[in-house]
Amino acid sequence: MYELFSDLGSWLTSGEQWAGPDGIAHRLAEHLQYSLIATLVAAVIALPVGLLIGHTGRGAFLAINLSSFGRALPTVGLVVLVFLASGLSMTPVYVALVALAVPAIVTNTYAGMTAVDADVKDAARGQGMRAHQVLFQVELPLALPLIMTGLRLALIQVVATATIAAYVSFGGLGRYVFDGLAQRDLVQVLGGAVLVAVIAVVLDLVLAGLQRALFRHRHHAAH
Amino acid sequence: MNRRTLLGGLFATATVPAVAACSSGITSLEGEGGAGAGGGGSSADGVTIGTANFTENQILGHLYAAVLGAAGIRTTVRPNLGTREILIPALKGGDIDLLPEYQGALLHYLDAKAKETEEGEMQNALAVALPRGLQILPYGRAEDSDAFAVTRETAEKYGLKSLADLARHNGKLVIGAAPEVKKRTVGAVGLKDEYGVEFKEFKSLDSSGPLVKGALKKGDVDVANLFTTDTDILAEGWVVLTDPKNLIPGQHVVPLIADRKADSTVRKALARLGNALTTEDLTELNRQVDKDKKDPEDVANAWAAAHRLTK
Amino acid sequence: MTVEWAWISDHASDLATLTVSHLQAALTAVALGLLISLPLAVVAHRIRPLRGLLLGLSNVLFTIPSIAIFVLLLPVTGLTRTTTVVGLTVYTLVVLLRNTVEGLDAVPVKVREAARAMGTRPLRTLLTVELPLALPVIMAGVRIATVMSISLVSVATYIGDGGLGQLFTDGFQRNFPTPVITGVVLTLLLALVADALLVAVQYVLTPWTRKRGA
Repeated sequence: MYELFSDLGSWLTSGEQWAGPDGIAHRLAEHLQYSLIATLVAAVIALPVGLLIGHTGRGAFLAINLSSFGRALPTVGLVVLVFLASGLSMTPVYVALVALAVPAIVTNTYAGMTAVDADVKDAARGQGMRAHQVLFQVELPLALPLIMTGLRLALIQVVATATIAAYVSFGGLGRYVFDGLAQRDLVQVLGGAVLVAVIAVVLDLVLAGLQRALFRHRHHAAH
Repeated sequence: MNRRTLLGGLFATATVPAVAACSSGITSLEGEGGAGAGGGGSSADGVTIGTANFTENQILGHLYAAVLGAAGIRTTVRPNLGTREILIPALKGGDIDLLPEYQGALLHYLDAKAKETEEGEMQNALAVALPRGLQILPYGRAEDSDAFAVTRETAEKYGLKSLADLARHNGKLVIGAAPEVKKRTVGAVGLKDEYGVEFKEFKSLDSSGPLVKGALKKGDVDVANLFTTDTDILAEGWVVLTDPKNLIPGQHVVPLIADRKADSTVRKALARLGNALTTEDLTELNRQVDKDKKDPEDVANAWAAAHRLTK
Repeated sequence: MTVEWAWISDHASDLATLTVSHLQAALTAVALGLLISLPLAVVAHRIRPLRGLLLGLSNVLFTIPSIAIFVLLLPVTGLTRTTTVVGLTVYTLVVLLRNTVEGLDAVPVKVREAARAMGTRPLRTLLTVELPLALPVIMAGVRIATVMSISLVSVATYIGDGGLGQLFTDGFQRNFPTPVITGVVLTLLLALVADALLVAVQYVLTPWTRKRGA
C-alpha cells in the first residue's frame, strides 16, 4: 500500500507524465471540457423545467421522482445503447452525462421554488407584480441556494462519471483508469482517480464561492 | 446434458464466487501462488475457467467446459474478466483455475525478452517462464495471431506491405489497439525495438472489437491491431502487414492451468479438443457469435457435439 | 435499432438469474453500509470534531469514480463478488452516513433530556428513542443508497462481475442492442420496485409519521 502511494507521488510529479497527448495536462483539460459542457447543457435543459414546475405547481410528481429515476439509470448501459444507435462519437458520453445531471438540477430547482413562502409570493402579487416578475424577482432569488446545491451535486456526479468517455475510446482522466485496468497498472488507476477527485472538489469549491458572491450581491441590493 | 447458455455462464460469474466470496477473497489476500480458492482442491472439486474480454476467448472457455463436462468434471465459465494482465494474477491467486491462452503472447507476457518463435521452443520456454503452481498443457492446432492491418487505401497511399514499411512514415501514423498493447512486446514496444516504428499517437481501443474496427473503417486510426481469426479482415478487404523479422510469434491456443487441477482426465480431454479444433473452425465460431449473435456457449457445445467430443 | 424479442424469451431464465445476482450485490452493499454507517453516525453526532472529518471524508469518497474503486480493490479481494460488494458499500456510506447524522440531529434535545431525566441509560435512549425518531430520514437515505447501488452494480462488469451489467459489455462487443436494452430496462424496473418496497417498509415501521401526516 505504502509503495503504491509513493509511486503515485512520482507518477504525479514526473514532468514526462504531464506532457504530450497522453499527458496529465491534456487529459485534465479533456476531462474538464467533457464535464463542463455536459453540466452546462444539463443546466440549460433542467433549469427552465424546474422553474416552470415550481412556479406553476404542475408536474410536481415528475420533479420529485425524476431524481430517483436519474439515480437508477445505469450509465454504462446508456453509453453502450447510444453508441450502438449512433456510432462512435462523443454523443453517447454526453447523452449519459446530461441524463445524469438533469434530474438532480430539476429536483433541487423545484424544491427551491416550493420552499419560497406563499405569503411572500402573495405580497409580491399584491404589489401588482406580473407573473414573470414574481418568478424572476422574488422566487428565483429565494430559491437560489437550493438551485446551486442541485448544480453542485450534478457537477460532482458528472466529473466522477466522465471517466466513462475512455470506455468508448475518448480521453479525459478515465483514460488512466481504463488503461491502468487493462495493463494492471494500479499507480495509473490511482493517479486518475485522485485527479478526478481533486477536480471535483475544486470545481465544487468554485461553485460554492460563486454562490457566496451571488448572495452577497443580493444582500447589498436588498439594503 | 443441462442447457447452459452464455447467460448461464454470466450468472455463474456472480453466484459461484458469491458463495465462495469470503474464502476466495481472503485467500487472495494471503498472497499469490497459494492454494487458491477457485474451485479449490483438485479437478474433482470443479474447475473454474476464466476468459478474457473478447469473443474468441469466451468461445474457447466454453469449449473447454464442454469437453471437461463430458469427462465428468464440473465447470464454471467466467466470461469477460479482462486482459491477460488481470487474468494471470487471478489464476495465481486462485480466483480461477484454467485459462485459454495463446503461446507467443503468453510467453512475452512472462518474459518480455523471449526470442523463441518456433512452437516447440516456445512450449519449453513457457514451461521455464511460468510461475510456480501454474503449467501449460500441449498446444492445439488452432492458431490466432496478432495482426497489424491497414485499409487498402492506406496501404496504397503509404506503400505499406510489411511492418518495416511503417518506419518510413515515423511520426505520421496513428495506431489503434487495446490499451495493454501499448506496453506489450507484441505491440507498440516490439514495433519500436524491432522495426524502429514510431507512431504519431497510440489510441487505446479494444481487442479486435467494435472500437478498433470502427476506428480503422472511419480512418481515425491508420494501423489497427486485430486478430487473424477475425472474419472482418477478409470481409473488409483490409491488408495485414507482413512480419519479416518475426516479431509476432506463433499463437497456438494453449491451456494454462493451475497444477492442482491438471490431472490426467483434464489433460486428456483438453488434448482431444486441441487436436480437433482448427483455425478455420475457430474463425467460423467467432463469426457465428459476432455476426449471427449466437451464444458462445451454444456454438461451443454444438461444435463439440458435432465433433464427437462430448460423447 | 430493433429489439429481438425471441432473444429475450430464449434467455428468460438466464435474465432472471442475472437479475437476482444483480439485486443480491446491491442489497448486500446497502446492508453492510447500514451496519458500518450507524455506529459511525452516532460517533459523528456525539463528537463534534469527528463529524466534519467523517462527513468530509465520505464526501471525498463520493468523487472517486466507481470503476477506479473496483480496480484498486483487485489486489486485495481479487476477481470476486467481494470486490463488487465492498466497492458498492463505499458509495452507500456517503448517503447513509449523512442521512443518519441528519436524522439524529433532527431529534429535539428536549426528548433526549426527558429520557435522561427518567433515568434511561444513554444506549437505551439511542436505541429506543433517538434512532426510531430519526428513522424517516435514515430510510430516505436507505432508499437513495439502494437505488444508487442497483444502478452502480453494472460498473463491475469491467472486472467480470456486474449482474445485469454483463449484458452491456456483451452487447457492446457484439454490436447487439437487444441485451443492452434489456439490461437497462431491467435495472430501472429493479430500482423502481426496490424503492416502492422500501416506501412500504417505512410506512409499516413508522406508524407515528402517518398519524401526524393525516
